[in-house]
Amino acid sequence: MPAGHRQERREASEVVFDGVGVTYPNGHRGLSGISLSIPAGQMVGIVGLSGAGKSTLIRTINGLVPATEGTLTVGGRDVTRARGSELRAVRAQVGMVFQGFNLAGRTTVLNNVLMGRLYSTPWWRTLLAAWKADDVEAAMAALERVEIVQKAYTRASELSGGQQQRVGIARALAQRPSVILADEPVASLDPPTSHVVMEHLRRINGELGVTVVTNLHFLDLAKEYSDRLLGLRAGSLVFDGRGEEADEAVFESIYGRSLKADDVLDAVPDLGER
Amino acid sequence: MSQVAAGPGRTARPTRPRRGAGTWVTGVVLVAITVWAGIGVQVDIPAIWRNMGNASGTIVKLTQPDYSFFPQTLKPLGQTLLMAVIATALGSALSLPLAFLASRTTTGTRWVVGVVRLLNNLVRAVPDLLYAAVFVAVIGTGALSGIAALFLFNLGILVKLVSEAIDGLDTGAQEAALAAGGTKFAANRTAMLPAVAPSYAAQVLYTFELNIRASTVIGLVGAGGLGVLIDNVRTFYHYHYLALIILEILVLVLIVETASSALRKRLAR
Repeated sequence: MPAGHRQERREASEVVFDGVGVTYPNGHRGLSGISLSIPAGQMVGIVGLSGAGKSTLIRTINGLVPATEGTLTVGGRDVTRARGSELRAVRAQVGMVFQGFNLAGRTTVLNNVLMGRLYSTPWWRTLLAAWKADDVEAAMAALERVEIVQKAYTRASELSGGQQQRVGIARALAQRPSVILADEPVASLDPPTSHVVMEHLRRINGELGVTVVTNLHFLDLAKEYSDRLLGLRAGSLVFDGRGEEADEAVFESIYGRSLKADDVLDAVPDLGER
Repeated sequence: MSQVAAGPGRTARPTRPRRGAGTWVTGVVLVAITVWAGIGVQVDIPAIWRNMGNASGTIVKLTQPDYSFFPQTLKPLGQTLLMAVIATALGSALSLPLAFLASRTTTGTRWVVGVVRLLNNLVRAVPDLLYAAVFVAVIGTGALSGIAALFLFNLGILVKLVSEAIDGLDTGAQEAALAAGGTKFAANRTAMLPAVAPSYAAQVLYTFELNIRASTVIGLVGAGGLGVLIDNVRTFYHYHYLALIILEILVLVLIVETASSALRKRLAR
């Protein structure tokens, strides 16, 4: 599916959860009874303790974790029952940014971003690394957007953490996605770099109209960078509302305790507490 | 040993845990097994001294290489080198896709992984000398049999070592490629191949070293190279010549090892 030259054409995709649950093969219950709808172009932050199911929730959207109950659709396409090329078609319109960046360190930044073009690239081109000029340009444009295009031919492992995450975002952008999922994108970064990365995600949401769904451990960051906040606790949705509505009481319902310094990014960590 | 007691501003240091008798028991058991094995195969150490008289002449000759024999060794020496080069090239080319099929990280279908591993274990179970003997019987004497034998030998080693290297790789980038809608093949090509390339290259160089040595041995059964010459001079008790050949192999192996270890060091970066 050739997606045009440099024009940013993309399908507007609503993400709809209908009674979605995940039970892992070992019997562990990751998610239960999630029903919600994310309209196209929304910036959504998901908060909750580690193990609350944030990562599971995000990964059901592109089928990296298969939902075992309910139905999940992206732009009307059923992800829960999609297999093979059907599943890949859904994944092609959903970009993903990872906590550990997930770059191939031994190859160039450009090659990493080109991975975002794999869906529409025939196998023999992939084998020979004979990328179409259009795809290379799409990758370069994505790098330009996260302000790192001058590093295109640098080895990915030589970049700093913040730069690597921007390459991760560029890889997702190169897909020309309608949705970007970011699974704890700043968990391995320092506070100033975290803000740079979140700012890029916000800009992509604002300027390109891409739906962005982000898992964030820090409540202040989640409030600052989302139109809508989802709170997860033990696999269930316990809060769904605007950031401003998330007061101390809401916080307790999500975290099961009162707010601590560890829960916000821009605070001095309190070592004595541990 | 004085125990540091807890006092103001200091916590008591933990006592060092006692080491169990396990280490000693293991050591004794290992020695016992070795002695028992020696008795089993009837090792006769005094026999070494009894036969020393016969061997002394041979040993003296082996320390005096006859350099005039050098020109006649050149052709087989070149053949040995060529056999190793061709067998390494063919073996490494075929082993790469097979190694990806033999690793659970790169191949989702379990039975494929199982079948490839089983076949590879069969290939590896047969020693190179036996392959050479079989090929000499089937194809005939000469370098072709030697190359065929070395090829299978290389395949066995490389598929095992490279697939194990793939098993140990980080799968993050592969996951990202799959999440972007790539096939498993595409994800392996773009994310896993660059990661395994250095260890693959290092293993190829290592098998090349092994081939240099192995190609001298398989010649003993007629599969071409220096081994054929070794067999000839040994049959006629030309130990001065044999000494020269051993010296040549030593030099060749040293050169190849030095070059390949230098290359591997660069690859590791």
